Amino acid sequence: MKISDIQSLEGFACLQGEYTDTQVQDGYTSDLLSDVMAHAEEDSVLITIQAHKNTVAVSSLVGVVAIIVCSNRPATDDMLEAAREEGIAVFQTDGNQFQTSSLIAQHLASCPAR
Amino acid sequence: MLYRADFHIHSCLSPCASLEMSPAAIVEKAKSVGLNAIALSDHNCGFNLPAFAKVCEQQGMACLYGVEATSVEEAHVLCLFDQLDVAVEWGGTIYESLPPVPNRPDRFGDQPIVDEHGEILGFAETFLISASGYDVAAMVEEVHARGGLCIPAHIDRQVFGIVAQLGFLPDEPFDAVELTAFGNLALAKDYPVVRNSDAHDLATLGSAFTDLDVPALSVAAIRACLWAERMQD
Repeated sequence: MKISDIQSLEGFACLQGEYTDTQVQDGYTSDLLSDVMAHAEEDSVLITIQAHKNTVAVSSLVGVVAIIVCSNRPATDDMLEAAREEGIAVFQTDGNQFQTSSLIAQHLASCPAR
Repeated sequence: MLYRADFHIHSCLSPCASLEMSPAAIVEKAKSVGLNAIALSDHNCGFNLPAFAKVCEQQGMACLYGVEATSVEEAHVLCLFDQLDVAVEWGGTIYESLPPVPNRPDRFGDQPIVDEHGEILGFAETFLISASGYDVAAMVEEVHARGGLCIPAHIDRQVFGIVAQLGFLPDEPFDAVELTAFGNLALAKDYPVVRNSDAHDLATLGSAFTDLDVPALSVAAIRACLWAERMQD
């Protein structure tokens, strides 16, 4: 799936849309950012409730290309600003981490490019 | 004046702390281990600060008024003030931002609010070991706006230390970072370092401390002293 495919999923809103629309290769779900830093793969989408600028800092270090903020948690302005600078997409959904992970996993599995 | 300070001490109000930690017992123990400056810093509230202030005044103990706030990132942050009313207000603000989850004393321990004699006035109803609504960046801003010191707590710990939560120490205008007694100085990067006990019982109170040479125990004097020492290193 491409990053822009996330936007068209039901219940998803795009909070930061200035990004290069590349293929998403993998996903990682965690709310402990040191764990994300240690284990997330490059070109992944990060599924989390941590919606602040440090989420973007960690994402840019490991090569996460998109962040999905779950449970409609509000993203801070400085988070979206940092994401814009890094070209990382930020989406928001009402689903929780489990529901969102399950949904994204289905889409990744059905994607021939992967 | 030379102060030997322990600015991270929990009272009985923190559910994880021993019920022996009344303000009076804390001050008595602090004196007996040679401390002449302390701060009370309970988790995510400041309901025992008024009693603590009274005991410190009666006993001639120099003090700051603290709150150990949990950020959105679930990192513990020590917020220290030299004005009681400001600290109480910040404690209330943090407390109000906690998720509305009631404490379960059978599971987590009691959260008693006490007076200067250790008499129970009531209980904090909301579970105090949750994350507040403030992320680290917002917390630094809010604490500084109130004239306080903002210090990430026990950054060398694997649990609730900011480095363990984020994977790195973020570049924020912290006044210092806190290490445990033997925590690695290299973690502090360019920030001044304070060491405190994070005592949850009387036995550990004063097991880590910070020496400060300041004219008075004020936020401004402490900030100046910490950075002056840092520049000499």
